[in-house]
Amino acid sequence: MTRTAEAGLIVAASLLAAVGVAIVEFTRGNWLDAQVAITFIVFLASFGGLHLAVRTWAAGASSLLIPTAAFLTAVGFIEIYRIDGEAAAIQRWSLLVAGGIGAAVLWMLRSSGVAVLKRYRYVLLAVGMGLLLLPLLPDSWPIHGATVNGSRLWVRLEVPGIDRVLSFQPGEIAKILIVIFLASYLAERADSMAVVDRKIGPFKVPEPRNLGPVLVAAGIAFVILIYQRDLGASLLLFALFVTMLYMATGRSFYVLTGGLLAVVAGVVAYAAFGHVARRIEAWIDPFANYTDAGYQTVQGLFAMGSGSLTGSGIGLGRPDLIPAATTDFIFAAVAEEMGLAGSIAVLAGYALFVAAGFGIAIRSKDRFRKYLAGGLTAVVALQALIILAGVLRLFPITGLTLPFMSYGGSSLIASFIIVALLLRVSHEGRA
Amino acid sequence: MNRSVRTAAYALLLGFGVLIIAATWTQAVAGPDYRDDPRNPRLTAWRTGRERGPIVTADDVLVAVSNPSDTESNLYVRSYPEGDLYAHTVGYTSVLFGTTGIERARTIDLQSDRDSTISGVLNGLLGGDPRPRGLRLTIDHALQRVAAEALGDQKGAVVAIDPTTGEVLAMVSTPGFDPNTLVGATAGPTGDALTQDPDEPLRNRATDESYAPGSIFKVITAASGLDVGLVSPSSVFDDPVELKLPGSSATISNFDGEVCNDGRGVTLEMAFVRSCNTVFGQLGMDVGGFDLAMRSEQFGFNESVPFDLFVLTSLFPSGAELATDPAATAQNAIGQRDVQTTPLLMALSAAAVANDGTVMVPYLVKDVFTSDGTVESSTEPRIWRRATSPATASVLADMMEQVVSSGTGRKAAVPGMRIAGKTGTAEVTGQAPHAWFIGFGPVTPAEGERSIAIAVIVESGGDFGESATGGSVAAPIARTVFSEFFGVSPG
Repeated sequence: MTRTAEAGLIVAASLLAAVGVAIVEFTRGNWLDAQVAITFIVFLASFGGLHLAVRTWAAGASSLLIPTAAFLTAVGFIEIYRIDGEAAAIQRWSLLVAGGIGAAVLWMLRSSGVAVLKRYRYVLLAVGMGLLLLPLLPDSWPIHGATVNGSRLWVRLEVPGIDRVLSFQPGEIAKILIVIFLASYLAERADSMAVVDRKIGPFKVPEPRNLGPVLVAAGIAFVILIYQRDLGASLLLFALFVTMLYMATGRSFYVLTGGLLAVVAGVVAYAAFGHVARRIEAWIDPFANYTDAGYQTVQGLFAMGSGSLTGSGIGLGRPDLIPAATTDFIFAAVAEEMGLAGSIAVLAGYALFVAAGFGIAIRSKDRFRKYLAGGLTAVVALQALIILAGVLRLFPITGLTLPFMSYGGSSLIASFIIVALLLRVSHEGRA
Repeated sequence: MNRSVRTAAYALLLGFGVLIIAATWTQAVAGPDYRDDPRNPRLTAWRTGRERGPIVTADDVLVAVSNPSDTESNLYVRSYPEGDLYAHTVGYTSVLFGTTGIERARTIDLQSDRDSTISGVLNGLLGGDPRPRGLRLTIDHALQRVAAEALGDQKGAVVAIDPTTGEVLAMVSTPGFDPNTLVGATAGPTGDALTQDPDEPLRNRATDESYAPGSIFKVITAASGLDVGLVSPSSVFDDPVELKLPGSSATISNFDGEVCNDGRGVTLEMAFVRSCNTVFGQLGMDVGGFDLAMRSEQFGFNESVPFDLFVLTSLFPSGAELATDPAATAQNAIGQRDVQTTPLLMALSAAAVANDGTVMVPYLVKDVFTSDGTVESSTEPRIWRRATSPATASVLADMMEQVVSSGTGRKAAVPGMRIAGKTGTAEVTGQAPHAWFIGFGPVTPAEGERSIAIAVIVESGGDFGESATGGSVAAPIARTVFSEFFGVSPG
């Protein structure tokens, strides 16, 4: 696919968002208004800007990623606009900022390439860990954590004299820094970690010192789970560690051990933490817990079931009845109004993005780039899988945003940084 | 090295495959169950907020319509322009109190097909009209209004039927209510007050309430005697002051406590015209409990009436029970004791006499029409049952005509029209009697002339209280309806 085709698809995705906004306004009895034009221009500026940055600084990059990201963002935006007009206005600003940051990443790496990131891996790790712990800052500080919906994963910056609070989720950025660190670390250590020749009974196990990273990963995930009550982030980080270890070593030992640890942690958490237990019970039988823990899941099922094959039509359903319809449950809103047809289009969009991302990893020449591209793709894939499995009741609800589609600036910016890094790796892979 | 990256990629892509299967399951397979779960708040919005088709009367007066909501886009508000006039027949669609009347019975026609079920999608693809259908009722608006005005503040019901087709021309129950007050989400207090009102304004007295028929049941007792060939109009009966009942201390006396004729003898015809209890108590015993029960069942007692609305089954004691109890047979033969009926069945019984003994299936919906007004289907008249022979029906019609021309039903007479009828004054312990009138006209319609059969009940004597009779309270209401139907001044 050529750059020109990519530009055409960006225009098409921008039109999709604009037409969606127009349909929502039609169903409210309004004629074309400024919202349609503003939406079109913002999408074009954000994704078009990224496209121009690629043309300038990463001309050899894959042209599959930006159109796919634009499509997913557009579908999510239509539902955000339909449910909460004010959130949509903020989301448009986020989109512009994210596009700018994505382009800035490409500019910064224009001559040094991603290789420069290897040099700063411990700095990046430290920053990442710091970001993860940031929400624990006490409330009295100017920069402090905030608890939203029972989870402490927000950070607020209060500037004295200005009546504005800047809030963001540092975990969204931290996950990218952790991928960069792991890709670099594993590129050096993978060979020794792949040696699995000690035997405990019939099982082959690696050298105990090589188990360190897995245990560290499990430890960090568990700390996050306990102190921030963030099931989603801890699960995402843990699954990411395991996936990257497997990619680097090819040893299913790490996957099995990781899975076992996750199950043990899950059982312990179930027994120890009320909020975990409630979520698991709500998952097993949401209808029995309809009035409390299962309410959100059930409302999601009602919405998706009501959407049926072709959906109620944009603007004609009641996705506003689902709690967190613009964030964690954006998929249920799409499923209600665009039907199974829309759901499958969205899932296929993610599959295409993931396939393209791994394609970049496989074509890359060295290990670091392979693991970087694979890890970044895995973050998007795992995050989407974890929250969608929760919405579709294959897994307990853990609370994660859906990359590209959910309302939220931090999430959108993180997704754009991932796209920019993948584009850069892809460019270097072909150069 | 690439192998493990590839494996990881496949594993994650497999995850999205599983999600596609899960989404298909959730939306297409289990979807309808989730959608129809009573806790799904969308149901409420759909039930009341979706567009429903219009309902018009036979003469195209709009009685139910969906208008776009002022406050919520895409939603409709159901309204009933005629207020309480059609409260029981058309019914209402309410968030809090459900759906009743024709709104409930014909909800499939009235609902839009515009949904995303497979059949809905296919219908849309094949060019089907997704807009809801409208209904044209058999009810004549003018007749309905006149019947309601004639009942006024009295509790009761009027049912008018075309005897040859079964079309319901008017169906009124009082006291009524304004269905518009039950539609919205804030209707709770209004609806609760109506539910708890001791006068039961929500009940359709025409179909969903049963009463002792009193003397109007003599039509069926007479039909039984005539059908079995036991009597003719000229058959002479004893004329006692009171009829002693065998095996019982109870007696049957006439309304005024006097003899029916001269104390020596009275013909069946005269006893019918004067509504003498003594003679019909005796006739019931002569026919016998077993045959009387069988004949009443031919008129539709102990049978469920096929109708668009719920109809309470009219009750007559079993033949086996009455066969050994002549006292009970005599009392039931004059429409007292155990026998219970609905105004609808009594209108059908009058219609049976008018229609040579044949009862048509009553119906309220004449046509179903599409959004552009084209009639899609029309109800074909069907026979429900044969109540009595044409010969008996003819004799009964003749006797009933004399009731209106010179007997207890004189106040139902319309100048220049041949009207037949029978009055009833049903004794109820502890309250004033129920006043009944059933009848029809014209007695022998000319070719192409339409006829009408009617049942009127006024509960507990209405405005007349203890002194009420069917002739004084119910018959004048019937006259008003007849006059409107025939287009003549009530005089």
